[in-house]
This record gives sequence, C-alpha cells and structure tokens, in this order.
Amino acid sequence: MYRLEAGPDEWIDRSAPLPFVFEGKQYQGYRGDTISSALAASGVPYLGRSFKYHRRRHILSFANHDCNTLFQVDGVPNVRGDVTLVSEGMRASAVNTFGGLVEDRARLLDRLARWLPVGFYYKAFHTKRLFPRWERMFRTLTGLGAVSLDAARRTTPKRYGFCDVLVVGGGPSGLSAARAAAAAGARVALIDESLRLGASGIGLHDGEQRATRALIESVNGSPAISVCSATVAAAYYADHWIALADATRLTKMRAKAVVLATGVIEQPAVFRNNDLPGVMLASAASSLLLRYRVAPGLRVVVVAGNLEGYRAALGLHWQSVRIAAVVDLRADLTAEDAAAAAECAAAGMAVYRSHAPYEAIAGADGVVVALDVAPLAAGERGEAAGRIDTGKLRRIDCDCILMSVGWAAAANLLLQAGGTMRFSDALQQFIPSSLPAGIFASGRLNGVYDFEARVADGARAGSAAASHAGFGSASGADIVRAARCPSHAFPIVDHPQAKNFVDFDEDLQVKDLENAAQEGFDSSELLKRYSTVGMGPSQGKHSNMNALRVLARHRGVGVERLGLTTSRPMYHPVPLKLLAGRSFNAERRTPVDAEHERLGAVWMPAGNWRRPEYYAVSGETRTQSIEAEVAAVRGSAGLIDVGTLGKIEIHGPQAGLFLDRVYTGRFSDLKVGMTRYGLMLDESGVIIDDGVIARMSADMFYFTTTTGGSATVFRELQRWNALWGLDCALVNVTGHRAAFNFAGPLSRELLQPLTDADLGEAGFPFLGVRTGRVAGVPARLLRVGFVGELGYEIHVPASDAGHVWRALHAAGLPRGSRPFGVEAQRVLRLEKAHFIVGQDTDGLTDPFEANASWAVNMQKPFFVGQRSLRILKTRGPRQTLVGIELPDPARMPKECHLVIEQGAIAGRITSVAYSRTLNKVIGLAMLSPELARTGGDLDIRGERGEILKARIAATPFYDPKNARQRPVAAA
Amino acid sequence: MKIMVCPLNGPRPVSEFAYGGEVRRSPDPDTCTDAEWSSYVFNRSGSPGVKYEWWCHIASGFWFVALRDTARDIVLETVPAEAARRGLPPERAP
Amino acid sequence: MFTHHESLKPAYDVVIIGAGGHGLAAAYYLARDHGIRNVAVLEKGYIGGGNTGRNTTIIRSNYLTPEGVKFYDESVRLWQDLGQDFDLNLFYSTRGHYTLAHTDSAMRTMRWRAEVNKHFGVRSEAVDAAFVRRGIPGIDMSCGGHAPILGALFHAPGAIARHDAVAWGYGRGADRRGVEIHQQTEVTGIRVQGGRVVGVDTTRGSLATPRVLCAVAGFTPRILDMVHLKTPIYVHPLQAMVSEPVKPWLDPIIVSGSLHVYVSQSARGELVMGASLDPYELHQTRSTLDFVEGLSSHMLDLFPFLSEVKVNRQWAGLSDMTPDFAPIMGVTPVEGFFLDAGWGTWGFKATPVCGKTMSHTVATGHNHPLIEGFTMDRFARYQLTGEKGAASVGH
Repeated sequence: MYRLEAGPDEWIDRSAPLPFVFEGKQYQGYRGDTISSALAASGVPYLGRSFKYHRRRHILSFANHDCNTLFQVDGVPNVRGDVTLVSEGMRASAVNTFGGLVEDRARLLDRLARWLPVGFYYKAFHTKRLFPRWERMFRTLTGLGAVSLDAARRTTPKRYGFCDVLVVGGGPSGLSAARAAAAAGARVALIDESLRLGASGIGLHDGEQRATRALIESVNGSPAISVCSATVAAAYYADHWIALADATRLTKMRAKAVVLATGVIEQPAVFRNNDLPGVMLASAASSLLLRYRVAPGLRVVVVAGNLEGYRAALGLHWQSVRIAAVVDLRADLTAEDAAAAAECAAAGMAVYRSHAPYEAIAGADGVVVALDVAPLAAGERGEAAGRIDTGKLRRIDCDCILMSVGWAAAANLLLQAGGTMRFSDALQQFIPSSLPAGIFASGRLNGVYDFEARVADGARAGSAAASHAGFGSASGADIVRAARCPSHAFPIVDHPQAKNFVDFDEDLQVKDLENAAQEGFDSSELLKRYSTVGMGPSQGKHSNMNALRVLARHRGVGVERLGLTTSRPMYHPVPLKLLAGRSFNAERRTPVDAEHERLGAVWMPAGNWRRPEYYAVSGETRTQSIEAEVAAVRGSAGLIDVGTLGKIEIHGPQAGLFLDRVYTGRFSDLKVGMTRYGLMLDESGVIIDDGVIARMSADMFYFTTTTGGSATVFRELQRWNALWGLDCALVNVTGHRAAFNFAGPLSRELLQPLTDADLGEAGFPFLGVRTGRVAGVPARLLRVGFVGELGYEIHVPASDAGHVWRALHAAGLPRGSRPFGVEAQRVLRLEKAHFIVGQDTDGLTDPFEANASWAVNMQKPFFVGQRSLRILKTRGPRQTLVGIELPDPARMPKECHLVIEQGAIAGRITSVAYSRTLNKVIGLAMLSPELARTGGDLDIRGERGEILKARIAATPFYDPKNARQRPVAAA
Repeated sequence: MKIMVCPLNGPRPVSEFAYGGEVRRSPDPDTCTDAEWSSYVFNRSGSPGVKYEWWCHIASGFWFVALRDTARDIVLETVPAEAARRGLPPERAP
Repeated sequence: MFTHHESLKPAYDVVIIGAGGHGLAAAYYLARDHGIRNVAVLEKGYIGGGNTGRNTTIIRSNYLTPEGVKFYDESVRLWQDLGQDFDLNLFYSTRGHYTLAHTDSAMRTMRWRAEVNKHFGVRSEAVDAAFVRRGIPGIDMSCGGHAPILGALFHAPGAIARHDAVAWGYGRGADRRGVEIHQQTEVTGIRVQGGRVVGVDTTRGSLATPRVLCAVAGFTPRILDMVHLKTPIYVHPLQAMVSEPVKPWLDPIIVSGSLHVYVSQSARGELVMGASLDPYELHQTRSTLDFVEGLSSHMLDLFPFLSEVKVNRQWAGLSDMTPDFAPIMGVTPVEGFFLDAGWGTWGFKATPVCGKTMSHTVATGHNHPLIEGFTMDRFARYQLTGEKGAASVGH
C-alpha cells in the first residue's frame, strides 16, 4: 500500500503532518488519517497478530467490523485503528504479542494449528493436575489489550436527546429518509458512524457520489435535521430509547419513530490464506482510496461474486490503481455483469469467469504475493459450492486481493428492537420480515440495492416514520428490492490444508465449524457457543453469515431453515466511561451535619446517611471516647442527633384505627399527649420495623421509623391506606424535622431553662409527648426510653435545627454533657437490652422470637401479620433472643460468633459490648429455645476457634426497674 | 428507559416507580384455614400473562393498580388503588 | 456429542423437562448411578439455552444456613472431578471469592457466614480492609469515595467455569448411556390421573411416563400450571454484561453487597459482570440501558482504571425467585411429579449436587437428605430458610 497524490474530497489535511510511534518506530500521518490509514500509507506490511494463531494481519474491513487492527494506544487497550484518528506523538502498538509485532514469540502457534482444533480447549489439559498450569498459560495468551492499574478514572457527562424521527445511517437511503421526514414537519436526528455523511454513497461511482453529495447538502441545509456524525447507535431499548456513543460521551435519545438505514456489512470470501496482509474487502479499498488516498497495492486482483466486484475493479482502475485480474466465482452473468466484465477486459484486466480463489500465497514478509485460482465447475442442483478442478491451478501474481462477494444485513438494531428477519433466496441475504410499531427499515438493509431505489426507499421509510410520529402521512410507496443477486450464495472454498478462515477474530477455519457441527453442535446457537464463532469483539459481523452457510451445507438444508443467533447490545463495544458517566451517588445529611463536623465527629454510613460514630477528642482513644460518651449519658447528660429516623404524621378521624392495623399494638386508645412503642410486621409475621408513636391530638399522630426503613415503610403505609381507604392521610416529614435525644440524669434540669414546656414529672410523665418551644423554636418533646435514662427526644423544624443543637450543647457543656454518637448509643441501649431491628432480628424473626410479645395485642380485630402470628404461635419459636454476659473484656466474642452446643450450632451473638457502667461484657444472642434458661451457661466459639464461656442473664442489665427513666425532680 | 404512564403524572421513566407485586386478594383471616392463609401470604401467580399489579410513583407517593401483560411488558390499563378494595374485574386483555 | 432421535418413543420411565445443566445432570446420574436409562430429556429450545448459558459462572459454597452450606459444599466437591468424569475441559478455575462489606452490618453478616462455613469445614474467613487491599490489586478501597470497603468475606474455594460446557458434559454422558435428549420439543401438557402422573404431551407428540422431573428455571410456573400446583415462585429478569477480552489482571471473583455488583475475569480475558435483579416481574430477556449504566458506574467505583475497557455485549435470563432465596426441590403433592426450581440467582453452582440429589429423589421417590430443607411445603409450615443474607446480590 502507498499514498497517492491529493484527490478531491480527501479526508486528510496534508498541511498538517502528525508524527507518531508504532511498535517503537517513528511514522508520519496527516491530520485526518486514522491509525490504520497512516500505517498503510507508510507501507507497513502488517499491523497485528491474530488472536489464536498469531498470524500476521492487516486491514480487512476498514469499517470497524473486524479486529485485525486493534492497538494499544497510550495505555488504552483495544483501540480500533481503522476508525481512530492519529494524533501527534501518539504511541501505539499491536495487542496480544509477545516480544512485539514482528518478533512475536507466539507466532509458533500458527505451526501448531493442526493440534489446536476447535473445541481443543474443551478436550485438553482438563485433569486437576494439569489444568491450573495450563490455565495460567492460556490466560496469558488470551486477552487482547492490556489494562494498567494506574490509569485514572475518566468521567464523561451524558446527554439526553429528543426527536420525532431518528434515522440511523447516513448513506443514500438514510439521507433521503431524513429529508422526507423533515419535509413532513418532524424534528429529525440523523446518526452516522463516520466523520462525514454519505457512507456507501460516496464510493467509486461518480454518478452516485454526485447524487449523494446533493442529498448531504440538502440535509445539512435543513434546520429540522440534527446530524450526529462519528456517532454509533450502539443499542436499542424499549420505547425507542437509543444509546448513542461518540468519542466523548453517551447520548440517550428518545424518538417517536426510528428509521434503520444501517445498510449491509461486506462479507469476506473464504479460501486458504484469505487472512494474509493485503487481502481485504473491496469496500475497504474504496474507503482507503477515496478518503485517505491510499492505494491498496501495486498489482491488485479482485475476487468477485457480484456486479460490485467489477465496478470496484473499474473504479480503482480509473484512480490509477493497476488491476491485474478479476476472478468471478459465477458462471452465469447478467447483461450488466457481462458489460462490466467486458469493460474490465478492455482496460487490460484478465477476467476469469467460473473460477474460485483457491489459495493466497505469502511472500517473505508475510504479505500476499500471489493468488492461485482454479476453475469452478457448476455445482449440481442442491450443492452449495461448485467442484474445484485443482488440476488446473493458475497463479496470478499480485500484492493485494480485494474481495467483493456479497453482504450481510446490518440488522443488529432491528433485531434488538424486536423485528424479525427472513432469508431471501433471491438476494442471498436476510431482509426484514416483521417490524414493531414505530420501526422502519430502508435501503440495502431492506434488500434495496439500486441507487435510485435506495433513495426512494429512504423517502418511503422517512415519510412513514414521520407519519407514525404524527407528522404528515405515509407515502405508501412500494419497496423495490434488487432484481439481481448482490451476494454470492456460497463464497467458500474448501482446502485440504485449511487456513481458510471464516472468523478472523477467533481464527476459525471451515473445518472447525464442520467439526463442531459433526459433534452435534449443529444449531446456530450451539455452533456459536462451542466453536466461539461470532463471539469475538466484532460479534460475527463478517463471520455469522458464512458460518450459517457452512452449517446449512453440513445439514443439507437451506440457510432459511437455520435461525439467526440473538442480537444484543452493543453494536460496537462502548467504553465503561461513557456508560458510567459522572456517577451520581446520593448522600443524605442531617440539618446539623456541620455541627458534628465542628465537634470532631468520626463518620459512619447509615443507609445513605452519614452519622457520627463517635466524637474524637484529643488525648482520647476511640474506645475511651465512646466510654466517656456513655458515662456522660449515665452520669450527667448526652446529646445525640437522631434526625435520620423516619418521621411520619398521620391525620384524620381514622388515624388511630389505621395505626391499629399496621402495628402490633393498639393506638386508637392512646391518650393525647402520650407515646407508645410500635412494632411493625409484614404479612408473614416477620418484624420489619419499629418506632415510637405519639398522639398529638384526637386526629393526629406523629410517629418514627428506623433510619433504614423510612422510605419503604412510608411507601407501604401509603399502599395500605390506598387499599383500605380509611379516613386518614399520611405525610412524610422525615426531611422536614431534625430530632435530638438529650438524655441523662441532668437532662431535665438543663433543658427546663431552654423551654416553656413544663418538664415536671407530674405534668410530663415518662412516655409523654408535649409541644412547646425549645430555644425559642417550636418543638415536639417526647420522653422515650431507648437509652434508659431520663431524657427528651426533641423534634424541631430542620431550618432551626442548628440553633437548637447549639443551645442544648452549650447548656450541657459546663455540667459535663457530651455529644454522643451511634456507637455509644448502641452500648447504652444494649445495657437496657433493647433490640435493634435488622441486627438482633433478621429476615425471619417474629415478635415471639424477639421477646416482644408484650408489644403485640392479639385481641385487636385485625393487624398486618396477625393471622400469621396465630400460626406461628402454634408452631413455636425456632429461636429466642436472650441476654448474655461474660466476665472478661479481654476475652470477648464478636457479633455473629456462634453458640455451640454438643458440636452443633445452637445460636449466635447478635449484639455484644463491654459495659463500663456494669463492668462486664454484655450482649444479646439468638438461641435455640431449649437452651434459653436464665442462669444457664453457653459455649461461644471465638475468633480463633477457642470456646468462650457465657452466662444467660436477666434483662435489662442496667436499671431493671426502669427507675432512672422516671425520676421525680428534686424538690 | 421504558415509559410507564402514571395516572396522576402522565408518562414517566419506569425508574421513577416502585413495583409492589401482584395484587392478591386476601381471604378472610377470621374464617380461612391456615393453609389458605399461608398460600395467600407466600404463593404467587408466577406464569406470564395479564395481571393486576401495584405500582407507586415514588416522588409523589401515588399508588395505583396497573393491568399489565407480563410477557410483552405492556400496560393495558391503570385503575385507582381503591378499585383493588372493591375487587377488580377478572384479568383479561381488553 | 448428542444422538439425534427422529421421534419420541411412546413411553419412558422418566421424563425430564429442561435440558439445562440441572436437567441433564439429573439424567446423567439417573443413568450412571441408578441404572435408569429409559429417560427422555425434553427441551423446547437448544441444550443449555436457558439460564445455563446465561449465568455469570460463579461457583461457591459460602452460604449462611447450615442446610445451604452443606448442600453447596457438596456441589463444590462434585465440581472438582467433573471435567475428568466427562473427559471434557470445563475450565473449572479456583480463583478465590471476595464478598466486600462496606458497612458494619455487612461485616457482621460476613462474620456470620464465615463462622457457619468454618463450622462445616468450608474455607471462608471474615477479613479486614488490609487483606482486601492486598488480595485485589488496584481496587479503590473508597469505592468512588462513597462506600469505603471495611473488609470482606473471603472464600478461598470460590471458582468459575465454562457454563455451557457443563450442560454438554452432562448431556454427552447421559446420551452415551442411552438417555434421549430431544431439542425443539416443547411440553404442552402433563397428564395426571388420580393424583399421579401418567404422561406428557409435547409439540412432537404424546408419551406415557410415571415420573416427570421439572427443571426449567424461569419457566417453572408455566409447567406447574399444568399440574395445578402453586408455589411462591415469581419471575424477574436478571441481566449481565461482558467486556472485550483484556490481558489477565483480575484473579479473584469480586462481589459487593452494597453496590450490588459482581465481576470476574474469564479464561478468555473478558470481564463478566452482573448486578441485582430487575425490579419487576417480566418474562422477557430484554436488556435495559439503566442496568448497564449503573453497573458500569459501580465497576469504575471499584476499579477506576477500567474507564477505557469496553462493554461488548449484554444479555439476560429469567430468574425463578423464592421469598427465602433457597430452592424448591423434591417430591410434590402430585405423585410422580418432582420439582427442581426456585433457583433465582443461585442455580449454576448447584448443578452437580442438584443432579445427584434429584436423581436420587426420582429414583427412590423420597427426598434426598441434603434437600430436606428445600421442600415445597416449607412455606405452609412457615419454615423458610434463612438464606437471604447470603445471596450475593439480587434483592
């Protein structure tokens, strides 16, 4: 290959040379060159090594449809060289080589190919002894590009797009469809993979080029059409939601109708050594020449199975490329074919009809130097291929072989959208059979090949799409499919020495597929999975069709009898960075988050909130701080932010009845001004949440849920409310209110000056609720018992939270009050043996097992979970929650260490902590009911398998009579 | 993203909704057998077909019932949640 | 590898519905260990075309409940020799498995699982952050800054294997022993008389049989309708995706309980990735964009250097879920109808032990001891298993 002089409409800018490095050597391209075109122009003989056999490879499709030209570029793996622009100073190398592209040590595998048949992976080295070593070697050999663990994360913002009609494909029919839809009044988005519009319309045919350019101009001039070039429509999702990927971002496009003008993918011919450097598709040569002014070779042979083969030969010839010969697989030519053949002959090309390419011959550097062809006697009726007369081989010298034997429909998006395809014998390609509402197909995808017909087909599809989107009416024109056959029925030539590749990504030869089918993997899906055909990075774009033909021949059926394998996103692979975008992660903070920060909070996650685990004080270790916080609550006062709790109001005459139904306790008889603990179950009787319910008035209750449960509980309560239709309404005020617990023997004394509510025991008893002002702010005050001291849970509007917190904090400071965090609270509540839902209970714990029967009122007419509890009561508990204690903090079990009884698991520790208040280790455990005897001994298996002795203790551990929670104020 | 039409808010991306499972009719807890009750609690109509389901538009807290074809992923109609209380008409594609 | 049978026989001793890994494994052990060879496996699509060919190939036994641990441990034991038994390389590769914990409560659960595992001799440990950092080079311990890793459950026996190959291995082994595998043969009805199975109707004709084993995963409710059985099974899609192949950099299998994602690197170098179950019931294996977006974002949280690695393909399977994340196996109220279902997101690893236990159950008519915790009637008895804490992702 070599660079020609400048041509019209070339895509390169010769005034901007770009030096770059490939495989350690300096090269130069121009701005606009892709990596492959620059290397081809520089005459580099081969650009890569194949996956399995490490055979030398060069450009094949030049359209991002194959993996011959994957490069590692500046640390990025698997860069598609055919479509990636060269940049100044770029450093690129081939992927999957051992010692570089030229010296690749793994090239030895090509010689071993005979012993590496398909399915080899499944039949060798699978003993337990050999496999680990073999696997290590195998894993090193597989994998294409390399990742670097040091590469930085890239974030790319995403974008949303909206249009009435989305047209995928900027070739002649796509351009025409966009134009027609816009003319009907629709907003159109036109997507094309390439940097410029035109696709196959800008080829070697002058007339078609001119017409296509006119279409492009018309599209560019239309304000109703947005053009997204260099953009891949990677996937179709429900309701016309299409993922568009370009170099820098993902666009999520919603359309009302979609026209798929995605065209067809040129297919290779299959013959021995069809993968040599210098063997490529005719369309690749056309693009290379027109866009980058790179000639494919000095002496070119065209292997043709259709009219386009002759046209390619002529087109290249007129661009001053020497075409030595055209080798036509077919015996019967149409008049058009014959005329073109005659033209070729007149231009000095040797034309061989009814000949097959038999073997490509490589020269010293691996590049093709000749093609052996053989006469092809017409096959008998029912034979897929003709019979080759190997006695009459003829060698044609060449340095380039172009293949023009046909196409496969680029139907991936159509199939993803739920459309179906059927095989057209006349066209030897799959064409659309059924299309879901809002999806339209046009052009060669639709089996329409004649240029004028493609433009007309695009207009038909565009107007139909616009009409579907509510603009204008469909033209109702007919689809005019090609009269001639554009694709050869069986461009596959057998060879006793194989190396006739069907899948270039996976290095699969014809015999590999035949052997797989022979083994019984003879449906298209099984063939794919066993042989891995179509499973490489190009996902079968130029191998699926030939694989089907081989399978069909093996089974003696027509291709139409075989199904297509499932089409899935992505059409071309999309980088994780585009799909991830900027990654938003919601984090919730309470209104006094800044106060905690100021006070030295050490944070811990609680759901998607963050809460202070404890407050770090200089000179104290973590353990000391937590113990000091506990001591403050027990000895003077402590202040904790409980604002993450769910907070709900329920209003209405039947609010109490509603609560009776959703909680296990009775609330309709709760006095105004009092609170009660609430336990919530699901319909199977399992504990799902708990909280405190306060009756603010006859018709209004204010209640809390756990932090983790607030959203789901609220939602579920809304559902019950919708279903039952009681006269009440729920309001979620979780985010509206802050909540603090100010607890300790001095709490009443310290709080009274800050509030107008009367905190006297008689007027505001334990478990009561009052409204008033705290630090001037309207508040609800609840006397709750979670930490087991006199205390007040103060709920205020979020906007005033900081002020109230600071006032409480300042009031307590002189008397030894400390803010306390989640860890201290865990110890405090453990000293009172209060269980935590989700820690001491699990996904199967019912109230009987949690020792919470006292919270359950079975006499109520109905509550959620009640009927199941009746069943559970008769069954008896499978486990029961007990208190435990151990004497020595140096020998303390961890949560979830197991209780072992006679060698079997009899339970586990659910909570455990050292209590300085009580000077012993205390905990809760779920235990087999037979063992749950107060005073009984337990064996707990610790960290290193040692047995720790514990005793079952009565609970609460601290202040069993709850006297601390309801002291009378000093006179 | 798949579009779900909320009776209150109109067409919204399906990620804005919470799925509440199939609508199940509770037997009378006071008169049914234990077996009937546990079947109500645990068993489901797992086959594909047209069924009533609970859906909630999360941001507005609005629950409704959708009659959805669970094989084709098409909502055939939506009804207010109260309809589930009265008893829904038999599941049939209209 | 598989004999082609022109037509169905008029009668079989056992009919297995579903030629996935489970069904074929049962057929294999029926023939090999119980001498029952007059068996037909009926498959409406192609062998292994259901969840067997769609799962993310993770094999482990680090479950939470004693019945689960014993069951899956037996499976891991059987996996070791399977390739050799089949004379077929299953690419069974022991890699080590990390279930990352990002919160205290997650660490607690990891310790619980580790303790139960160790009690039964299964090698699992609750490990700290330092261990995780050493064992997983390149991992971002802060998880994108929003979910720091505190530790993990490390399970040394965690492994991956080539999923289809298991079905082929069992299938060939069964085929060689006289079992008939009929593809493209859909069961349209099951004939029951007097409370016992007498025959099966299919798209290729009817046959008589006294024993039917249903092993069809996401299609289970449809088959159960044929025998008028109800279960808690509900079906949601489970999606997965795979990257282009890259050189090996990830040895162990990584699961994050908080991010609800998991990843392993196959022998071919592809990253095989998954996340949680789709949120609503659907009997379609369609893909969604938000799945791929969310999973990609979390992948980069864990491994930020993967930005330029490309997603090649995404797909889905149908998961037959149960409320306690444990399967439903064994005899049913219909005599002669046996069920192997409720495999949700946890079925592939159990392929060998399901084959063993279900073949025993079908051959003897009594539940194998290892599956006694998984009976269909446990829900009526409110005896659910406690496995929800051990499913890697999915709820």
